[in-house]
Amino acid sequence: MLNVCLPPSGKTCECGQRHMEAVLRNVASTVELLAVAAHSDVVSEWDEQTAGRAFHWARYCEHIYSRFHSNHVIRGVLEKQLQLTSRGLKEALPEYGAVTLWDLGRCQNLLLLRLLGNPALPVSLLKMLFETRRSAGVTDGDYDDVRGLCGRLVQYKSACKLLRHLPGPPALGADAEVQGEMLMERLESALSRSGDARRAEDLLSSVLQELDGAAPGLCPVIAAALLTTAGSAAQIAAQDFLLDWLQSRHGVLQRVCSGLPSRLLADLAKRHRKFRDAYCRLLKKWASEMEYGISDGEWVHAAADPSVSFQKMTHHFLTLFEACPSLRTETEDELRALKVSDGGFDVRGLSVWGDLLFALSP
Amino acid sequence: MTELQVQQTDESSPNAEELSSWLEKVIAWGHADSLNTWKDISLHSSRLKDFLQQLLIQINNVSSTAETMKRLPLLGQFLGRLCWNPHVTAEGESRGLLFQCLWALYSEHPSNAVEREANQWIRKVLCQLATEEEDGAALALMKHLGVPSKEYHLKVLKRMVTIMQENIGNNQCSRTQGCSCGSIRAASEACVPLITCPEASPLIGALLQQPVTCFRDGLSENFLDALHSAYSRRVLPLEELAVVSLWYHSLPSLEEAVLRLLESATAAGSTPNKIEEQVTNSLLPEACAQHCSIFLVANDIFRTVLKQAEKNECVKHVFQTFTKCFLRELSHLQPQTSASLKAFFPQSPPSLLLPLLTMPSEMPQEALKDHLMWVSSLIQQLAEEEEEEEEEDSRNIRGHHKVFEAWLLLVQCGHWVQVAAQLLVTSGPEDCAPFLWLLTFYHHPTNRWHHRASQLVQAKAAWDHLCGLFSVAGHPRPADRLQSFISLLSAKPRQPPLAPPLALNLMVNFAVFGQLPLSTSTEMIQKVVDQSGLWDESTRVLGSLRLRLNDRGCVANDRVRLRIEELRNTMTQMINRSSVAAVTGEIRDQLCACLNHHLSSSDMSVHVFVCVCVWQTDSDKRYRAMIEFFDEK
Repeated sequence: MLNVCLPPSGKTCECGQRHMEAVLRNVASTVELLAVAAHSDVVSEWDEQTAGRAFHWARYCEHIYSRFHSNHVIRGVLEKQLQLTSRGLKEALPEYGAVTLWDLGRCQNLLLLRLLGNPALPVSLLKMLFETRRSAGVTDGDYDDVRGLCGRLVQYKSACKLLRHLPGPPALGADAEVQGEMLMERLESALSRSGDARRAEDLLSSVLQELDGAAPGLCPVIAAALLTTAGSAAQIAAQDFLLDWLQSRHGVLQRVCSGLPSRLLADLAKRHRKFRDAYCRLLKKWASEMEYGISDGEWVHAAADPSVSFQKMTHHFLTLFEACPSLRTETEDELRALKVSDGGFDVRGLSVWGDLLFALSP
Repeated sequence: MTELQVQQTDESSPNAEELSSWLEKVIAWGHADSLNTWKDISLHSSRLKDFLQQLLIQINNVSSTAETMKRLPLLGQFLGRLCWNPHVTAEGESRGLLFQCLWALYSEHPSNAVEREANQWIRKVLCQLATEEEDGAALALMKHLGVPSKEYHLKVLKRMVTIMQENIGNNQCSRTQGCSCGSIRAASEACVPLITCPEASPLIGALLQQPVTCFRDGLSENFLDALHSAYSRRVLPLEELAVVSLWYHSLPSLEEAVLRLLESATAAGSTPNKIEEQVTNSLLPEACAQHCSIFLVANDIFRTVLKQAEKNECVKHVFQTFTKCFLRELSHLQPQTSASLKAFFPQSPPSLLLPLLTMPSEMPQEALKDHLMWVSSLIQQLAEEEEEEEEEDSRNIRGHHKVFEAWLLLVQCGHWVQVAAQLLVTSGPEDCAPFLWLLTFYHHPTNRWHHRASQLVQAKAAWDHLCGLFSVAGHPRPADRLQSFISLLSAKPRQPPLAPPLALNLMVNFAVFGQLPLSTSTEMIQKVVDQSGLWDESTRVLGSLRLRLNDRGCVANDRVRLRIEELRNTMTQMINRSSVAAVTGEIRDQLCACLNHHLSSSDMSVHVFVCVCVWQTDSDKRYRAMIEFFDEK
């Protein structure tokens, strides 16, 4: 693997310059390779060795991405190169799909997708990719061999499907946990190097945009990210950033608090003061939006989406108090004050605060 | 490397009807996702694999894909649905078969629309399988965070395994609230396709080691069957503790393990050292110490083998080593009490348990003689009692049950027999009788046709000869004295010979512990071994003697150790010289025969290979002999 030397100041020295040029050339070539893999008939002449080399270069790009994606100087240089190469390729192949910097991090997958979608790919290569390993007892999680690559992918995915169906502990689940950790990792590195929060901000926004509408969306991931144990200062900073972002995106916060189970939200509140405060505020806001339906004899949430029932909201409060007992008296005092401002009557249906207090009393 | 060997079967190829009934089943599996569905899938798993195998053969035999699709129109649907069933795609073998069927349907040069469509469809399915992500959130994150799919899915799998492992024991079943558990059964059922997946092995191990708390929530039968099948094919990636639990749950796996040990330990060229190593490495002694039931099964297997092969010194020796290792492990686990011993040896005569299971190293040297005399008298009593019973009641078909069990226990504690042989070197004619009886009994447990009396006489005669041969008194050793000793080893009319191992054992002990100079002793042993051909036996005796003396607590002086080493060296050289000569000669004969038949060189190498396999020893002299031969030709 190429060892790019960069003095900490970030300025490139003479040999650093040459290395950078080499890196850019390699990345450009790999992007061209991706285009060939997707659209060209040349692929029909590929054999196992050629495919192996292609995946080797894809791995190289992944390595470059993981090393430099947080360094905004090099990011810029790489992005410029990608744009340049894309422009050239677009002229040659009108159906060409551009490769972004993020794609470099998943270069092998991209190559695989394009190869598998190319009808000229020889069957022998297909067979090689989907081969099933025979040796047992060899955990090849770090095994980078192209032979059997797809076979392994299918195995892992199927195994996850099997285990996912089993009733497990009432927590977030392995998927959300792993996703949360990945998110934290990237946030951490995005915040640490560049210093400015824009990168991290962009990251979260783009993910959110992609997921908008897709259930269950970002909520379990955010919760999982906030529940990861933050040891180092960088991790704490990343979680803090996420909390601030969450508070600023009211819609997301609402979805998180209405979609996740109370116990989980209570855990989050226990861990993070900021979340606790935001959560409390939100619950009170929901209460204030409730209207009493005389025909049903129930308080109903006036807002459309997301709507929360009175019982649910009460349950949220109760679980929260269990996790943070100190909150009870504080909140009860507030509610009492609000009840008084509503007239202070002890009749059901007149003041949501009164009814809430009643429901919360032990 | 991964292409399965497609065997030619005489069964009729699968027809459309069979396919349609399988398709119905597969569709049903796709609709429901409950414990019952999983059970059904596991139950049909091996039959499905067989069916896929048959399909594969048929597809390969038919000339074109279009033809196959005409005969089996539902084939595409069937294979397609199987591709999306994780029970089939998670398991290596079924996944491999499924993919091979798909590739077999792929036409290199499609000649019509059907084949072209089939090609397109196959590519699409494979592409989807490899690259499609069901979880939108996961895909979005992977894309924007630049995380490779394989890394992600592997991480999630490992995390799932960890979470499940930690939570397995958490569902407590309480009688008062009713049993709602079933989590272990469900988990084991879901894990059936994952048994050979190394990433899932911590979970499999945790499931196996989970203590059984509720009878309704045990491991599923399919799970245990699949485990056993993978274990016998040696493709099971489990840790040691989990293997012990497997043996505890699955009787066939335990039997397989014991038989495997017997096979490898009795293979040609096993020295006592190697045998001990193999026994210890097999984990069986530890497992037996932890679970009484495992020991009883293993013991039973040895018992059955020995019932049919009393004279097999090799098996006896393995049994003895096994028991020794087991007792060692047991002593590490708990302080020995006679009550627990009874549980481990329920069929042995109780009076013999403590005397025989005590190790000679746990006693002072002076007490050994009396102890052995006592043991000998106990067993003699048992034998006489049983013979009286037999004579009184000739309809008693129970056979020599007690005596057999006593003999079995003696075999297991064979170190006492060795001590007896050693004591015979130094005892006089007045107290040699009990030891000779013990030795004779060990080698001739059954008293068929009341031969024991004459065998005892022969044993005494052998001992007399040996005393004379090895006495330090200066008179010359007549050659005929040695000759008469050797003649005892050969068959005589109207009576069976003295067991050669017995005589050899005695002789070796005399050589090692006697006072005669080593060179003379060695010469005599060489002559005996040469004439009787008992090389292996003599090395085995020396080897086990050495082992016993090396065991902790055994008192042996340096002189004895030296003599053993010298004898071993001489024996080994002798063996190599004579056996190489014999073997080289045999190889030459065989290869000559091959050449004379003008076989091609590849056949030659096959023959040579076969020759080498036949004499499986670790001597490289044989290979050298072969190379010499080839150089000559």
